[in-house]
Amino acid sequence: MKRDLHQFQTPDTRFPNHGTATNTSSSSKDKMMMVKEEDDGDELLAMLGYKVKSSEMAEVALKLEQLETMMGNVQEDGLLSNLATDTVHYNPSELYSWLDNMLTEFNPPPPPPEINSSFLTGTASDYDLKAIPGNAIYARSSSSSNQPCDNNNNSKRLKSCSSPDSMLTTTTTLTTATESTRSMATESTRFTESTRSMATESTRSMIIESTRLNESTRSVPTESTRSMVLVDSQENGVRLVHALMACAEAVQSNDLSLAEALVKQIGFLAVSQAGAMRKVATYFAEALARRIYRLSPPRSHVDHSLSDTLQTHFYETCPYLKFAHFTANQAILEAFEGKKRVHVIDFSMSQGLQWPALMQALALREGGPPVFRLTGIGPPAADGSDHLHEVGCKLAQLAEAIHVEFEYRGFVASSLADLDATMLELRPSETEAVAVNSVFELHKLLGRTGGVEKVLSVVKEIKPVIFTVVEQESSHNGPVFLDRFTEALHYYSTLFDSLEGVPSSQDKVMSEVYLGKQICNLVACEGADRVERHETLSQWANRFGTSGFAPAHLGSNAFKQASMLLALFNGGEGYRVEESNGCLMLGWHTRPLITTSAWKLAAAR
Amino acid sequence: MAGNDEVNLIESRTVVPLNTWVLISNFKLAYTLLRRPDGTINRHLAEFLDRKVTANANPVNGVFSFDVIIDRSINLLSRVYRPAYAEGPRPSVLDLEKPVDSEVVPVILFFHGGSFAHSSANSAIYDTLCRRLVGVCKCVVVSVNYRRAPEHPYPCAYDDGWIALNWVSSRTWLKSKKDSKVHIFLAGDSSGGNIAHNVALKAGEAGLINVLGNVLLNPMFGGEERTESEKRLDGKYFVTVRDRDWYWKAFLPQGEDREHPACNPFSLRGKSLRGLCFPKSLVVVAGLDLIRDWQLGYVEGLKKAGHEVKLMHLEKATVGFYLLPNNVHFHNVMDEVSAFVNAEN
Repeated sequence: MKRDLHQFQTPDTRFPNHGTATNTSSSSKDKMMMVKEEDDGDELLAMLGYKVKSSEMAEVALKLEQLETMMGNVQEDGLLSNLATDTVHYNPSELYSWLDNMLTEFNPPPPPPEINSSFLTGTASDYDLKAIPGNAIYARSSSSSNQPCDNNNNSKRLKSCSSPDSMLTTTTTLTTATESTRSMATESTRFTESTRSMATESTRSMIIESTRLNESTRSVPTESTRSMVLVDSQENGVRLVHALMACAEAVQSNDLSLAEALVKQIGFLAVSQAGAMRKVATYFAEALARRIYRLSPPRSHVDHSLSDTLQTHFYETCPYLKFAHFTANQAILEAFEGKKRVHVIDFSMSQGLQWPALMQALALREGGPPVFRLTGIGPPAADGSDHLHEVGCKLAQLAEAIHVEFEYRGFVASSLADLDATMLELRPSETEAVAVNSVFELHKLLGRTGGVEKVLSVVKEIKPVIFTVVEQESSHNGPVFLDRFTEALHYYSTLFDSLEGVPSSQDKVMSEVYLGKQICNLVACEGADRVERHETLSQWANRFGTSGFAPAHLGSNAFKQASMLLALFNGGEGYRVEESNGCLMLGWHTRPLITTSAWKLAAAR
Repeated sequence: MAGNDEVNLIESRTVVPLNTWVLISNFKLAYTLLRRPDGTINRHLAEFLDRKVTANANPVNGVFSFDVIIDRSINLLSRVYRPAYAEGPRPSVLDLEKPVDSEVVPVILFFHGGSFAHSSANSAIYDTLCRRLVGVCKCVVVSVNYRRAPEHPYPCAYDDGWIALNWVSSRTWLKSKKDSKVHIFLAGDSSGGNIAHNVALKAGEAGLINVLGNVLLNPMFGGEERTESEKRLDGKYFVTVRDRDWYWKAFLPQGEDREHPACNPFSLRGKSLRGLCFPKSLVVVAGLDLIRDWQLGYVEGLKKAGHEVKLMHLEKATVGFYLLPNNVHFHNVMDEVSAFVNAEN
């Protein structure tokens, strides 16, 4: 029923909205009385994580009231639980749109008649593990990259795998391994739980676009935050940390003899330390030593097969990469809804670990899979081998097995900034929907002037329906060495701490080496060599915002599934998924460590 | 919900500022979505909706914070809030646990609210509240991320509180110079107030740790009887008797009713507090909180048992008034808490 808005516009005038940020020292009563500008967000609510414009407060109150009345009138708890279970929620900080979303849910349009009602009653809590990326998907083929292509019985496919590549000047273009079977096999139309788990549970109000979203990007605080999780004091090796910091400080002020002495001291201290701290300290000490002695560190771009191998071990050991792939795939899947031809451009192609799960989900899609094209961009292999081609072959085999029409192209590029949109053979957007995906790659461009800007302009030319980005959530690219060092020390300490619960294994050791190489690059390198230039979500969001991208929010369905994925991991109790401004972060306890965000082209004004 | 919904909503709207109304109504709405009829909580949605903030070792408004895993076996985390140091702008990790340097520094061991089932130490509402406490009281605050119901019912929250008390008590860097001891106060709102009471009880029984005082903000107590305030205020100011019942059922052991001492410390089933070692208490009661009568009964019970208690009865305050500094109750309470924990100075 209608309600006069004026009822909500006369707060008790004794207590107008408090304007300034809290500083409640001494007599706190003095700080009360400042009324805020109408246009700005309510500052007090902003401090508590809610973005509501003062001018919209009354409307938001009205929506709350409407929802409450509706829920109060609902006789059966079942309807209420649908709102909780089946509705996908987005960005709860934006109260206006969050409430609107629910109000829409409560008055849903009638469902289309062809939907099988049994499909809808499956509980969202059942989770089909087939959709989880990783070993399960690669069950058919060995994880070794040396596996020859010819272990399948269809010789026609083999020929396209091993056909010679045509060489271009700066990139290697691989021939496509085209799937010729287009089976819309009727046996695959059974709707399993995995369909629900990857497909959107609610197709309505999926990605909410409004000018509000751009504002929320800008309002993200720019002061740095140092978030620290310490394991109980006795364990954290204060002397060791002290020596590391002092050494870094000495390096920064170019007092190399002091730095040298401290590096040696760190070595001794590290040996007597236990657990994660010992390992972290050792890597940081080695990196400091390299910096002091100006030893050129192992240049990772020379040996990509090693990098790939290490990354695979890291993938197996802990959930970070799986989370990255899973959440990015979720956003891609949602963006590809209803599209008959889709194209993924992967800036982070190494072993292609992300794609089997997406292909699986597309195969199980209601209405059948789209035609799936994948362009993988990766760095050159040291031994000249065509590893991108091999990856393509494996994916082609999978595509055949799951009856997805598949096309693949690999591009070798030393830097993403070498890419031009024309190389990618884009098709008209009416016929093919494109997703661009980048996992832990964009930060590498920050060492080169104009690098990231070039890549972002290429992405815009591609006109993707979605641009998924996963990056480390930390500020490792500041101008002051000591600050970078300190941030990195905390970041990697937390990361290594999260690995402590993993039983010792080859995988685990290699994972630590993988992280150690990042530490080494971060600490010992400068200029173009320093590629591990991690930045935070707020920094990336500013960059994307000013480059013409708008956020595409990840919702509660992705959050829940990511959380459930984590529960499968040994020691999973410390991992946490957090939602922030429509992005999902995976962290260890209270410290976010990686962030998945999704972007689309901002609407033209 | 009892009563006329239209009237209820208008009534609650007249007693709090609009943004407070929006905040608390939002929580009420979210919590209604999260509570399932079968007594479970939609935990994934709860964590998705909860607005969290990281700790920050860079001082903001004169306060910095960091997180510590105080018990690895149960992943018990606490967030420590400290006043910024006079010298230098940013404490390095070495300085986070720098010894407090005053003769007397109160340390508040804080238990956030949420009816035993909601929120965390890193929830934005509680991070903000704890920072304000440090700013006003010039103290250290340690906020405990205790395990929640229904997944972890009684006595998990109390056990975690006890572990945290022992942890705080044994931190050398929290010892006041005057007597080389940690000057500990227990504090909490809603379920946190209940936890503070129970941890103080246990401390008194164990006898080793001296708790200097309890600060209970709208503490969560109840019982089988329907008190006058519960009947009169049911559904009127953001809270319903039904939801209170739900949370007690989620927290208390299966089969127990609300006369369990955890819910009703002065029930016939509870043991007498007379003669027990128990700290002085500051109990803040919001007059429009439907469990007001239980809270007032708690105060009476403490008095009858011979324990020192100061009551602040804020007749026009609702639940959650202390979450925003836009009302006179907030400021009055903060000043009282500061006086309470700094009484020795």
